[in-house]
Amino acid sequence: MLQEIPSGLCFILSGILFTIGAIGAIIRRNVIVVFMCIELMLNAVNLVFIAAANALSSMDGSVFVFFIMTVAAVEAAVGLAIFVMVFRLQNTVNAYEVHLLKG
Amino acid sequence: MNFGEIIFLLIIIVTMGGALMAILSGSIVYALMGLVTAMFGVAGLYIYLDSPFLAMMQILIYVGAVSVLIAFAVMLIGPLYRRPKEWTTAGKFGAALGVALVTLFMFVRFVTGTFPRGGNPFFDMTTKEIGRLFFDNLVLPFELISLLIVVAILGAIMLALFSRGNK
Repeated sequence: MLQEIPSGLCFILSGILFTIGAIGAIIRRNVIVVFMCIELMLNAVNLVFIAAANALSSMDGSVFVFFIMTVAAVEAAVGLAIFVMVFRLQNTVNAYEVHLLKG
Repeated sequence: MNFGEIIFLLIIIVTMGGALMAILSGSIVYALMGLVTAMFGVAGLYIYLDSPFLAMMQILIYVGAVSVLIAFAVMLIGPLYRRPKEWTTAGKFGAALGVALVTLFMFVRFVTGTFPRGGNPFFDMTTKEIGRLFFDNLVLPFELISLLIVVAILGAIMLALFSRGNK
């Protein structure tokens, strides 16, 4: 049975996950929640890579997912450090109140 | 419907529920728990897609490291009860929903309509094959990614230290 899982179902599922992440990144203002939505979208992209690799019997999807995971971990470390520093400097993490680059 | 398909449907439901909880919950801590649930669900889907190594990587990196980092950031960033005007307006919510649904339907239609099937059915992505691929063909990117991690960790430490020293 494990060989009979259709990859089309996983494509649809990853599309729904990406859409949920995109909606969250649009409607939330807290930058930590926006960051979590970005992680959700990265997970959806990883899922579609794995589903395509499984459907095509190729190894390249696994390699891409490996590098995407590593870069996402790096991004989490640097991004959260930036959030903590912005909170210390401006005392807010609301995305509409951070006017640092607005001129 | 046998046992494996029931577990697969349960994993799908848990993943969707976790993702919805991550974006709709008012508290950041509940949103983080929803994100962790969704990441566990994605790891289960990796196991169903014959990639146990990447499922293990998913649990180690996302559930183990990234969620703990987000939890640290939530604890370092201020009291949770000060959330002034955290949501956008209803009009923007409707616009976001409409745009996202249209994008989703186009995406699903495109992918499920035209995706080719190929390859041999006896192929399996074992950990041995992935390791052989990395250390035969991709040695330089593998080492560069470790260098990138070291640089990023040093950068995060310097960022934290200097912002504390200037205040």
